[in-house]
Amino acid sequence: MIEPEQTDLTLGFIPLTDSAPLIVAKEMGFFSQWGLNVKLQKQNSWATLRDKLHAGLLDATQMLAPMPLASSLGLGCAKVKVITPLVLSLNGNAITLSEKLHQEILQENNIAHVTLPLAAYLLQKVISVRNKQNRPKLKFATVFPYSCHYYQLRDWLASAKISEVDLDIVVVPPVSMVAFLESGEIDGCCVGGPWNAKAVRAGIGLTALTSFDIWQDSPEKVLGLLASFQKAKPNTVIALTAALKQACIWLENIPNRFEAARLLSSDQYLDASVDVIAPSLIGSCLTHITMPPRAIPSYNQFSKSSNGSINVPEYIRGEWLISQMINAGQLKNIDVPADLVRQVFRPDIYQQMRLKLEDQAVQFFRRSG
Amino acid sequence: MARKDSLQHTALPKEQKHLIPELRILLIDENQQRAESLASALNNSRYKISHLASPHMSLLKQVDEIQPDIIVIDIESPSRDILESLSAISHYNPKPVVMFSAEQDTDTINQSIESGVSAYVVGDLQADRVKPILDAAVARFREFQKLKEELSDTKQQLASRNLIDQAKRLLMKKRSLSEDDAFKAMRKTAMDTGQKLDDVAKTLISLLNTI
Repeated sequence: MIEPEQTDLTLGFIPLTDSAPLIVAKEMGFFSQWGLNVKLQKQNSWATLRDKLHAGLLDATQMLAPMPLASSLGLGCAKVKVITPLVLSLNGNAITLSEKLHQEILQENNIAHVTLPLAAYLLQKVISVRNKQNRPKLKFATVFPYSCHYYQLRDWLASAKISEVDLDIVVVPPVSMVAFLESGEIDGCCVGGPWNAKAVRAGIGLTALTSFDIWQDSPEKVLGLLASFQKAKPNTVIALTAALKQACIWLENIPNRFEAARLLSSDQYLDASVDVIAPSLIGSCLTHITMPPRAIPSYNQFSKSSNGSINVPEYIRGEWLISQMINAGQLKNIDVPADLVRQVFRPDIYQQMRLKLEDQAVQFFRRSG
Repeated sequence: MARKDSLQHTALPKEQKHLIPELRILLIDENQQRAESLASALNNSRYKISHLASPHMSLLKQVDEIQPDIIVIDIESPSRDILESLSAISHYNPKPVVMFSAEQDTDTINQSIESGVSAYVVGDLQADRVKPILDAAVARFREFQKLKEELSDTKQQLASRNLIDQAKRLLMKKRSLSEDDAFKAMRKTAMDTGQKLDDVAKTLISLLNTI
């Protein structure tokens, strides 16, 4: 077993379906198995979560996959070295359109119903008609400037040669997304669960496609912590990473996912009904109040025994995120230090953790054998 | 310290008061009571508050309509992420942001928040503390913007010097000119065609590289 230098830890999370690994590790006792006493602290905004990590008020936190890179580059914040030793989840986002935009798509394209996943070119007519009639541009929302949500939305629109010249993209916090869709302030959004399902259940939106339809199996949330913290407390980081990896493995099992949905629904975590949390966890994408759900087995992916590497923060994942940031104009190629990805993505820590995890399993079998 | 305070509270002569434009504040705070006390504290000053209580109301629309000069926000508000994007969206001019937090233990955040945030206040916004904080925020923001502009000017100058050097070297190599003659040739072209020297350099580089 490993001896953590620091046992009391405060971890940040944003109430979303894919915060499951943190909540499961806490509730199923994985943190305590590794000698950690973890306090989970709910955060309301990604920017404040990031600032609290930078300031040391959070020891580690769930982060959007591009955030450790953005922090290390000083994009939108002071430059602070943040690393990630673990990918917490893949996929999990979806693009939901307001009912009003759904109706506009049917009308302008002269069709009776849409086919899902929705092709972005169906928006072209809506955009050109609005333009001709001098009506306001369509407005889409994502959750943060440095988020896969933003890059996925851009990629989907680009598949029909629609760019940010044709419509506006703004940032709206996940908790406000459904209300904004309902009030008509935004026409569509790319957001994680349970907010898409919530909009569909409430009859105010159509979930047009999931992020899995846009990018297959790409990292969505990662564990982020300060490089200086890892340097000072390497064993703590290994214990923390091991407990979370165990939670990810536990979450691979579909029957466990429903149990996870029940844990998540409590008011200290997501404070939402199992009705909207469970579907994506068990691979069901709610689409529209009048339409059947779509089967998306990889909607929320936490671990995969057939592909042992999905939790590994591989360099190639980091390079891919950098290329997305460059495409979105957030970064110029010359601004990226050559060793950036190697500084931020830390498969070496992951491998050390794997060895400890295997040791522990061997010991367990010896004892029980 | 005392002298500084007394300076800030000195009433300005009447004619001078009219010269100072009114500053519009967008306050994002779910606590109605706190918002009201702040508004009354700023009564009769050059700051004018537009209060926004609910995060479900349109923050972006309000920013569009009010065109605030300062944004004051509770750091725990989910709307903070909306502000984060304001600096990334080109048609919104950057604005000074004042953040506050009722929690005492968050004062260390101050050091980590830099871009766009002009002041950070720990503890409730107390009426007598507010005006000097806002004054300081506006001043600091202007300083920051000036620095940023200077930096981008310097970067621009460096970039064009690099271009000119590169074109000069290409000319020297491909036309076997001396350094002085190469520069003179470029300057002449710029003057004859009414272009900037770095534009001439850019054209030369692409031309000489393709030939």
